[in-house]
Amino acid sequence: MESLNNLIYGFGIALSPMNILYVFTGVFAGTIIGMLPGLGPISALALMIPITFAMDPSSGLILMAGVYYGAIFGGSTSSILLNAPGVAGTVATSFDGYPMAKKGQAGKALAIAAYSSFVGGTLSVVGLMLVAPLLSKVAVSFGPAEYFSLMVLGLTAVVSLSDKSLIKGLIAAVVGIMVSIIGIDRQTGTERFTFGSAHLLDGVDFLVMALGIFALAEVFYMLLRGGGGKEQPRNAIGSLKLTRGEVKEIAGPMTRGSILGFFTGVLPGAGATIGSFLGYSMEKRLAKDGDTFGQGNIKGVAAPESANNAACTGSFVPLLTLGVPGSGTTAVLLGALLVMGVTPGPAMLQDRPDVFWGVIASMYIGNIFLLVLNLPLIPLIAKILDMPRALLLSMILIFCMIGVYGLNFSVIDLYLLLAFGLLGLAMRLFGFPAAPMILGMILGGVMEESMRRALQIAGGDWSVFVDKPISLWLLVIAALSVFLPLIKKAIKGLRLRHA
Amino acid sequence: MSTKTPLKLIAVAAVTLSAGSAMAFEPSKSVEFIAPANPGGGWDTLVRTVSRVLQEEELAEQNFAPINTPGGGGAVAWAEVAKDEGNDHMLFATSPPIILVPLTGSSRYDHSDFTPVARLSTDYITLLVDADSDYEDIDDLMEAIRENPGLSIGGGSAPGSMDHIAVAGLAGEAGIEPGSINYVAFSGGGEAMTNLMGGHIEAVVSGASEAVGLIQEEEGELRALGVSSTERLGGELANVPTFEEQGLDYTFDIWRGVMGPPGMSDEAVAYYESLFEEMLETDGWADARDRLGWIDAYQGSEEFGEFLDAQADEFSDILRELGMVE
Repeated sequence: MESLNNLIYGFGIALSPMNILYVFTGVFAGTIIGMLPGLGPISALALMIPITFAMDPSSGLILMAGVYYGAIFGGSTSSILLNAPGVAGTVATSFDGYPMAKKGQAGKALAIAAYSSFVGGTLSVVGLMLVAPLLSKVAVSFGPAEYFSLMVLGLTAVVSLSDKSLIKGLIAAVVGIMVSIIGIDRQTGTERFTFGSAHLLDGVDFLVMALGIFALAEVFYMLLRGGGGKEQPRNAIGSLKLTRGEVKEIAGPMTRGSILGFFTGVLPGAGATIGSFLGYSMEKRLAKDGDTFGQGNIKGVAAPESANNAACTGSFVPLLTLGVPGSGTTAVLLGALLVMGVTPGPAMLQDRPDVFWGVIASMYIGNIFLLVLNLPLIPLIAKILDMPRALLLSMILIFCMIGVYGLNFSVIDLYLLLAFGLLGLAMRLFGFPAAPMILGMILGGVMEESMRRALQIAGGDWSVFVDKPISLWLLVIAALSVFLPLIKKAIKGLRLRHA
Repeated sequence: MSTKTPLKLIAVAAVTLSAGSAMAFEPSKSVEFIAPANPGGGWDTLVRTVSRVLQEEELAEQNFAPINTPGGGGAVAWAEVAKDEGNDHMLFATSPPIILVPLTGSSRYDHSDFTPVARLSTDYITLLVDADSDYEDIDDLMEAIRENPGLSIGGGSAPGSMDHIAVAGLAGEAGIEPGSINYVAFSGGGEAMTNLMGGHIEAVVSGASEAVGLIQEEEGELRALGVSSTERLGGELANVPTFEEQGLDYTFDIWRGVMGPPGMSDEAVAYYESLFEEMLETDGWADARDRLGWIDAYQGSEEFGEFLDAQADEFSDILRELGMVE
C-alpha cells in the first residue's frame, strides 16, 4: 500500500507539464542516439551534464534516465536492419532480428523488439518500485568469485550459439577472449599485446569488433556473392501486426527475459549483455523449435530485447539505493546527480523522495512514450531496406566507420574495424559462428579480472570458487547447461542407432 | 625522458625576444581545452566546469572548447599535446596520473615535457570500511594489516596508480612494508565500494569527495577511518579525523590543474595564470567547486612546476619501495 501511495506521489511529480516534456525529450533523443551505433548513451549523458546543472534534480534525472533507457529501446534498430549492434546489450537481438529482416519481416521484427522493450521496461520498473531496497543486498552479495562464476555461466551460451560445430564455436570464443586480453592489465599494470602502440593500451573496443564481424562481414559477404539481380528484392518490410498465436508465443519469452534481465541488471557490471545472452540461450533451449533460432525466430528477438531493457532499469537499483554506479552510464548519472546537489544512497529515500519516486513514475510514462513513438516510426525507418543494394551497402559501411571513428577519433580503430570485417568474412566462409567470438570478447575481460581478483583476495586459494554458495550454484548451473544437452543428444543418438 | 633543458632555453629565448616590447598575450582564437579521457571522469569534469565558468562569468573573450582525447590513461592525449610545441592556444587538465603513468612506463612523455600553467584545486583520499566493521580508527586497520598482510584493500585504479600509491604511502608511514599491502584493483571506485559493502574486501581507498554520500551519520553503509588532509574537511566529512590527528604524519593530495604544450610562451602562461586566479574568485566557480567537493588550491606556473617535481620524487620513492620501478 505504501508503495502505491509513493507511486501516486511520484506521478504527481512526473506528470507536471515540464517533466512530461523532459521525459518526452529524453526518450526521443535517446531513441535517436540508440539507433546510431557509436553514439552511446554514456557520451550523450556526459554532454548533457551542463544542461541539467541548473535544473531541479528530479527533472534532471528524469531527462537523463529517459535518454538512457530510450537509447536501449532504440538500440535494436540497427541490429535488426543492418546487423550492426550499437551496444553490447543488443548483440543477441541481431541473431534472429537480422534474419527476420532478410526474410522480409523487418516490420514484424522491429515491432516485436518494441513490444518486448516495452514489456521489459515496464515490468522492471514494477520490480524497481517494489523490491529495490531489498535488492541492494543482492547487488553487493556478488564479489569477484561470484562474478567469475556468472561469466562462466554466460559463456556456456557458446554451446547454443555454435550452429553446427561446437568445436568451431569454441575456437571462435577463445579468439574472442584473446582479443579481450589486449591492453593494460588492471591487476598488474602490464601492457599485453599492445605492440608498443598507445592506441591499444585501452584494448579493443567492443563496437570495433561487433561492427566488424557482424555488419562489415555481412557487407563483404553480400559483395562476394555478387550478382545484382539474383537476390529477391527486399522491399517488403512486411506487416507490423502479430497474430494471436505469435503474441502467445512471445509472451513467455518476454516475461522470462524481463525477470532475468532485471536481476542481472541489478548486478553492477555487464548486466544487459549477460541478461540478453542468457535470455536468448535459455529460450533456445526451452523452445520446441529451438533449431530455428538464428534463422529468424520471433522468440529470439523477444527474449534478448525484453532482457536488455529490464537490465537497464535494474542498473538503477545500486545507483539509487546504494549510491554506487553499476555501469559506465550510471556512473555518469551519479556524477550528474552529485553536481545537482543530490547524493544517491540509502538516505535518498528520506531526503529526496521527489527524485526517487519521480524518476520511477517517469519511467512508466517514458516506456509508453517510447512504444507510441517507435511503432509509427517503424515503417519509415525500415524503408532503409528499400534502398538499392549498392547504396545500402555503402551506407552500412559509412555508418560503421563513423560509429567506430567517433569512439576515440582514432584512425587505428578504422584499420581494426576493417581487419575484423575480413576476419568475420573468413569465419563465415569457413563456417565459424561469429556470436561466440563476440561473447568471448565481452565476457572474457570481466571473467579474467574477477578470477584473479578473487584469487588475490583469497590468497591464491582456488577453493574460493566452490566455497561461496552463490558461486558454487552458478558453476553447477553452468555445468548442467553444458552437459545436459550433450547427454540428451548422446542418448538420442544411441536410440536412433538401435532403432 | 626529460626535455627540461630545451624548455628552459625556449623560455629564456622568449624572455629575451619579448623584453622591451612587453606585448601582452590574448588568445586570438578559441582555446583547445583537452580532457585526456572520455566524458564523465575527473579530467572531463574539470575541463567542462572550467570552460563553463569562464564563459558564464565572461572572463575571456575567446571560447575554451572542451575536447576529449581518451586512451592509455592519458598517454594518447599527452603524445598529441607534446607534438604541438609552442601552441599558445592549447591546454589540458592534469592530476597525479601525469606523474604516475609515465613512472610505471605507459607514456613516453612526463610532466617535465609540458608547461605547467596553474594548480586549481585538490581533493583528499580517505580509507573506508564497512559501517559494522571492528575497525574504529586507522590504527585498528593498520594493526590488523600488520598481523595479516593478506588483508585485501580495494581501490578503483590499477596497481601503481593513485589509489595504490596513497594507501602504500600511508602504510609505510605506519611502519608497514608498503609492498606487503594486498591492494586489489577494481575497474572503478563504485565497484570497489560495492565489494566493500558486500564484505568481499576489508577496506577501500577512495577520493574523499566520492565517499561523501556513503558515510552519512546514521544511514551510511560505510565508515571513513581518516582523511589525508592537514585539517579536517567540511560538510559530511567534518567528523572524520585526519591521519595526522591519529598520529600518522601523512598527507596526500589529489590535486587538479592545467598544463600547456611544451614551449608555451611566457606571455601566454602569464595570461592563463591570472585568468584562472581570477576565475577561482568568482561565485560561479565557488558554487561548482562546493557541489563537486573540491577545495581550492591555487598555485601559479612556477610554484606548480616545483610542486610537480617534488611530487614526482615522492611518488617514485613509493613506487620503488613497491618494486614497480627500477
